[in-house]
Amino acid sequence: MKRLFGVFVNGLIIENPLFIIMIGLCSAMAVTTTVANGIGMGVALTFVLVMSELIISLFRNLIPESIRMPIFLIVIAAFTTIMDLEMKAYFPVLSKSMGVFIPLVVVNCIVMGRVEAFSSKQPVLDAVFDGLGMGIGYTWVLIAISVVRELLGNGTLLGRQIMPSSFAPMIFFILPPGGFLVFALWMAASNDLRRRLLAGRKPEPTQDSCCTLPDNSSAEKA
Amino acid sequence: MKRWQMIKLGLILAMYTIVGCVGLAFVYNSTSKTIAQRQEADLQAGLREVFPKATGFTPTDTVKSTNPTIVFDAAYTANGPSGSLGIAVKVHGPSYGGPTTLIVGVSIDGTITGVKVLENKDTPGLGANAASPTYYVDKASKTTFPGQFAGKKLTDGFVVKKDVIAITSATITSRSITNLVQAVGKAASEVLGTGISSPSPSSQDPSAVLPSVDTVRTSSKPATSSVPGISILETSVGTKAGTIVGASAKAKAKNYDGEVTVLVGVSTDGTILGVQILECTDSQGSPILAPEFAQQFAGKKAGAPLEVGTNIDAASGTTSSSRGATALVKATADALVKALAGGGL
Repeated sequence: MKRLFGVFVNGLIIENPLFIIMIGLCSAMAVTTTVANGIGMGVALTFVLVMSELIISLFRNLIPESIRMPIFLIVIAAFTTIMDLEMKAYFPVLSKSMGVFIPLVVVNCIVMGRVEAFSSKQPVLDAVFDGLGMGIGYTWVLIAISVVRELLGNGTLLGRQIMPSSFAPMIFFILPPGGFLVFALWMAASNDLRRRLLAGRKPEPTQDSCCTLPDNSSAEKA
Repeated sequence: MKRWQMIKLGLILAMYTIVGCVGLAFVYNSTSKTIAQRQEADLQAGLREVFPKATGFTPTDTVKSTNPTIVFDAAYTANGPSGSLGIAVKVHGPSYGGPTTLIVGVSIDGTITGVKVLENKDTPGLGANAASPTYYVDKASKTTFPGQFAGKKLTDGFVVKKDVIAITSATITSRSITNLVQAVGKAASEVLGTGISSPSPSSQDPSAVLPSVDTVRTSSKPATSSVPGISILETSVGTKAGTIVGASAKAKAKNYDGEVTVLVGVSTDGTILGVQILECTDSQGSPILAPEFAQQFAGKKAGAPLEVGTNIDAASGTTSSSRGATALVKATADALVKALAGGGL
């Protein structure tokens, strides 16, 4: 149980997909102009990630090494399309405002990266918890960015007017440069927190790359 | 043995694909009904938005698109308490990132009652602002991009950046939506019989391209063009104190993906006196309707080559339409010069 918790927590800060592994950034920049979009994208990606990791971990011994990539893609694409159809049917407004970014979850590096680096080599439960951790790690960052961008750039939160009417919205934060700035500031804060968390457990090797992950997690198990 | 290995891998891959497809088929089956219902509800809401006072909508198939790339998906007559209020058309046509779908309402008095963007696949943050309810092209009056069409007369100009405020950094989106609105307006006004299909009388008048003549009469012998695909509709002759000083012709030809109609005036010495682009149904072609484009031709010799890029500047964003229009002007001018030289006009 403790091991699974470790796998789950890993994605939140220590190995956050956006701040540390630094993959899947373009969707994170593009959809975070409103909080609703941020939450929607986060939930959509978490769903696809958990389901793909689950299925691939389940079948990991039945996937030939040489064609693993196309098989991963088929699984990811199938779940993304399911997500897309479900959102169109039950959350049409959200689906419309996120437009092309939902189908583009297919090529989101986070999904492909985690499937390749983690779930294709780990047991099912670990894979699900990794998917949850990474997904929530992605979601909280999107929400953090979009709260700042929507509040300062539009004066609203979740579409509700928060700032007084005398407040002139700073369009800068809605535009891409503002997105990068907010992203960088949150990254600085998160990495500072991470450094302090890691200072407690010294022997841990640095986990800066997605590619070193399988070794690290087996070390964790031991 | 390597071949067997490859076939085995192929079969494994096929298995995964089949399982994935079957799964998707089930999800599609269970959601397609709901999605269709949502779209229908969206359509109804859109129709209500462009005709808030309508009591109901009856489908009609009288409105036809003249441009093959602009497709009218459905057309409805808006019924009011006392007869028809106008026509609403669901239309889609090409835009920057894929097709854009709109609902356009046209009232019986020839004004656009409203435009609603149903679907737009253009760049989020730029072109997609066309569908955003909080993106204002006029911040003071809180007018959205489609909102600016409401109340616009069909006789008004539809040139983006002149008569229509463009979305910042999304001129192509702005233009394609404007074109769709204009196409619906034109088609609907023909059905409604508001008779606005001809822009305005003055611009159709041959004297507009034949300055310094005192009488214009219809030619007794129409000019003909030897260039295939060009039809000369009307030939007029301009006289000054009884002698022929020039001739004009209205000509039409297929263009990029629609048709273009021009009015060309030529003097007896072979100089182009004036040109008007009367109509262009190309999907991105409306900029060539701007007078700045047509004015370039005045003073040029009909015999000399006219080419976009060398001595004619293309209207921005529509090089293909500009080229077609230039070729038509050139052919019409040549035909007029020949007719003037032949006499008997």
